[in-house]
This record gives sequence, C-alpha cells and structure tokens, in this order.
Amino acid sequence: MSNQQTIKRITEIIINELKLEDVTPETFDVDLDLVDEIGIDSMDLATIALVLRDEYGIRIDEDDYPKLTTVRIIAAYIDDKRSQGE
Amino acid sequence: MTVHTPTAAPYRFSDIIADPSIRDRWEKVRRYFFLRESTYDMTNRCNIRCEGCYYYAGDKQFAAEQKEEAAWRRLMEAEKERGITFVVLAGAEPSLVPELCRVCFEVIPLGAIATNGLKPIPSEIDYQIHISVWGNDTTSKAIRNATAMLERQIANYQGDPRAVFVYTFTPDNIDEADSVVARLVEHNCTATFNMFSAPVGYDGPLRHTPASLHKTRGMMQHLLAAYPKTVLFSPYSIVAHTSEQGLHDLFGCSYPRMNPSTAIGLGRSFRQYRTDLHWDRRAACCVPDTDCPDCRHYAAGSAVVTARMYRHATDPATFSAWLDYVDTYLAVWVRGYDKGENLCQSLIDPPPHHPSVSEES
Repeated sequence: MSNQQTIKRITEIIINELKLEDVTPETFDVDLDLVDEIGIDSMDLATIALVLRDEYGIRIDEDDYPKLTTVRIIAAYIDDKRSQGE
Repeated sequence: MTVHTPTAAPYRFSDIIADPSIRDRWEKVRRYFFLRESTYDMTNRCNIRCEGCYYYAGDKQFAAEQKEEAAWRRLMEAEKERGITFVVLAGAEPSLVPELCRVCFEVIPLGAIATNGLKPIPSEIDYQIHISVWGNDTTSKAIRNATAMLERQIANYQGDPRAVFVYTFTPDNIDEADSVVARLVEHNCTATFNMFSAPVGYDGPLRHTPASLHKTRGMMQHLLAAYPKTVLFSPYSIVAHTSEQGLHDLFGCSYPRMNPSTAIGLGRSFRQYRTDLHWDRRAACCVPDTDCPDCRHYAAGSAVVTARMYRHATDPATFSAWLDYVDTYLAVWVRGYDKGENLCQSLIDPPPHHPSVSEES
C-alpha cells in the first residue's frame, strides 16, 4: 500500500473513531496537528493506536505517541514499521 | 479468588470489545474521557492536624492565602479557557473557605472536594465530596487528635449523594476497617479505599510494609465481597493499590512532577495550584511531596491507571479489569455517575511496564 493509501485509510479511521461530523477523507487536512488543532486527547490517541494495531498488525509504542502529531506523520511511521517487517 | 496472569494472546481490540458486556462498559466509560483535571489548595488552614499529613509536609503550607473571590473567579475562568473541565479542591481544609469553593463550582461545575468532614460543605456546592477516614474514633483521636470523628462525619454526610467516605489504610487500622465500613453502610454512606502513601522523608509508623500490604489486600477483598453495592472498588483496584511495587513503578506516573512530556495527557494539562494561585511544574502532582516509590494513593491511581488503556487491551480479562478500574474511578470522582457491577472478579496482574529512558533518568 502506498503512502497515499495509508494516509487515506488512517484518515478514515480517525474520522470514524472520533465521530467527526461534517468531515470526509477528501476534506480532512492531513497536516493538522491532532492534539493542538483537532483537539484529540490521550485516550483518543490510544484508541486510534489500537485500531491501527488491528488494521496493520503493528505495535505502536506508548512512548511514540507524542511523535504522532498528524495523519501524514502517522502514515510515515506505519509505513516505516511495516517496511521493517514489524 | 485466584491470580490470573494472561498470556500474550493474539487478541485484536475489535475482538475484545465484541463481547457485549465489555462493549457496553467501554462505551459507558468512554463518554467521560473529556475530563481534564487540575487541583487547587484552597487555604493553608486546617481544623485538625494529622500524623503524616501531605499538606504540612514540604513547603506548600507557606504559600500566602489568596482570599479574594474575584481572584479565584479569574483563575477559574482562565482554567476553563485552557480546557480544564474538572477541579479537585484540596489542602489544607476547603470546608473552611466555602465561599471560594462556591466560586469554583459556579465557573467549573464538575469536581471534587477533599475534606476531613468535620464542617459541612453547603449543599449548593454540588461537587463530589471525599471525606477522609483514617480508622475508628479511637484511632482518629490518636493520630488526628479529633474526638468522635467518624460520628461527626456521618452526622454531617449520611445519605448525602455527594459524599464518598475514603478509608485510608495504614498498617495500624486494617482490622478496624471491617467495623468502620459496616457502620458507614448502616448509615447509608458510600465508601472507597485509599492507601497511606508516605510523604518524602516520612519515617513514621504509617508507612506500609509487604506484610501490611498483603493484609490490606485481604481486608479489601472481604469488604468488597461483603458490601458490593456500597463499597466503590474493584478487584483490579485492589491489585493496583496493594502491590509491593508502587503505582509509579507499576504503571509509570503521568503527573508532571514525574512525567517530562508536555505533548499529551496529564503532562500537558495538569497543574497543582497553591493557595497563592501559583503553580510549579516540578512539584505538580495529585499529592505533592509524596515519596513516589511509595505512592499507592487513590487519587494518583485514578489518573495513572486510567491513562494506561492501551497497555491493558491485550485480552478480555485484562481489559475488563481495566474497565472496572475506570468505572470505579468515575463513580468515586464524578457526581451522578453510577458504578456498574465489576466485570472481572479475578486478581489480574498489571501488564508489564518498561520505563522509558526519560522516566528512568
């Protein structure tokens, strides 16, 4: 799956998990800061991490949460983990 | 009751919450994760002086008192503006300044007050009220120098839906918890449990030992089984608070004093204000001046364990145990939240915690 596909799928997951209304994957700005601009909390982030774990079969270390600031960055993180065979 | 140690089963999160009872509880507690707390010392005065008191350890007691309601209102409005939705009013004794508590309630209507319960807090201040109980009247007289303490606390708060009586276990009052909780139940009082956690430098008799932790665990199990509807606790709460390792070693403390991260969670939002309305990140903690390796405090656990959802999503039993803990936390701290039946009756071992480099340093 290319990075664009990963970005699209993560966007769908976040919209679904956070129950964001009036937002579609097409209108979602993947460079928005999830904490500062979207307003998600640490529990939301943990939930998203679990759903991504299910989706991609990778583990996201809790210490890495603060690094996962935007959808684009999360996609790069996941692609990197998958390329390492994790 | 046996200790259940889950293996590393390949459960997906979606598998775990596919169980209807787990999904319902998950959806129930999830609605409350908008809560953002900070704590506030209200006055440097108290009407009693207890052995091992947190407030009078350290230098908090020397902060000047801000008594102006307008200043408190400005602080609360600023707190609300930065996203705080839940306030904990504590040290030294908030019931001595009800006018300031009222201001806080008017601006931020969700919160809790920690009090010794000797002076009633006006009913219109509709926060959860935590009344500290350190044993029976004889014990309270000895270590708090207060006469007929339990009798007066019950007289002030029996049947009050705001009130939760917090029984703090010390090595010396474990046996008497049975009769104290029975008396609370008899008077329609809700109870939960706390563990004495030594302040830094405290070398007195109240510091727990492995033997007293083990004995406390047995008493908590007995009381939870005897009074499942009036004792707000869970088997996993028992495990978390009576383990030989403290909460910091078991879970990794997320309060700013021990957590250098300012990115997400408590490290980002939590502040602990002193009576002069100033705060210091280096000291900000639910119970400042606690000796962190000895911390088993109920307030610390509420945030520290609750924040570790990811770590507990390994199998249905462990996640159920965590949900019970969160359900207990919400029932103890949030007005109007009703605790459900515990989903997991086993004593689940906490998931392994591997401190990061920053936590170790």
